[in-house]
Amino acid sequence: MNARDDKIRQVVAELDLHIAEVEANVAILKALLADDEAPGKQDPS
Amino acid sequence: MTDVTNETLRLWRESKGWDVPRMARELRKAARDTGEDVAAHHGLVKMIPQWERGSRAPRERYRLLYLKIFEDALGGLSHGMALGTDLALRLAEARSRAASLPGPGEIRALEAAALAKTTRTLPPAEIRALAAEAIAHLHKVADKLTELSALLGDDQASEGRP
Repeated sequence: MNARDDKIRQVVAELDLHIAEVEANVAILKALLADDEAPGKQDPS
Repeated sequence: MTDVTNETLRLWRESKGWDVPRMARELRKAARDTGEDVAAHHGLVKMIPQWERGSRAPRERYRLLYLKIFEDALGGLSHGMALGTDLALRLAEARSRAASLPGPGEIRALEAAALAKTTRTLPPAEIRALAAEAIAHLHKVADKLTELSALLGDDQASEGRP
């Protein structure tokens, strides 16, 4: 049971990493698109 | 409860489309089914946001009730219990996050939109690389979910597959 749990922990940790990579890259892509809106939101000063 | 669970509790609740009062009702219903005593409805309505914010940790009986209610997200209560609460919750959180990832098509659409921009802040090659990496990791996520499914001996890990 312990070996199995350790393996599951390891796979979950790897899964977390891959999810984080996807989330990070998607966040960058979305931020690039959000830049489009930035000029309209510039500080009026 | 571990540090991964506060956000998880909120994600689980929201994944069902439940507001806090509904979550309180579900907790009380789950408790009733097993003959346990829990706080009154208004007490739970106050406690749930505290648990979700992490300003207060739910006691074990409430953690077990969450496991019972969100059995599907955990890939089966029996597995969750066998694994131990903390690992089961980590697993559930990972599955929940995986399920909320965009699919390859959405990533390609983001890539196309970013490439189409006239005021790009990144060169096209980098934008393509970002999207390709994201999709590659997405495949890894699916692989890991399959691996987990095999380890757990269930068919439910694939539910979170992007």
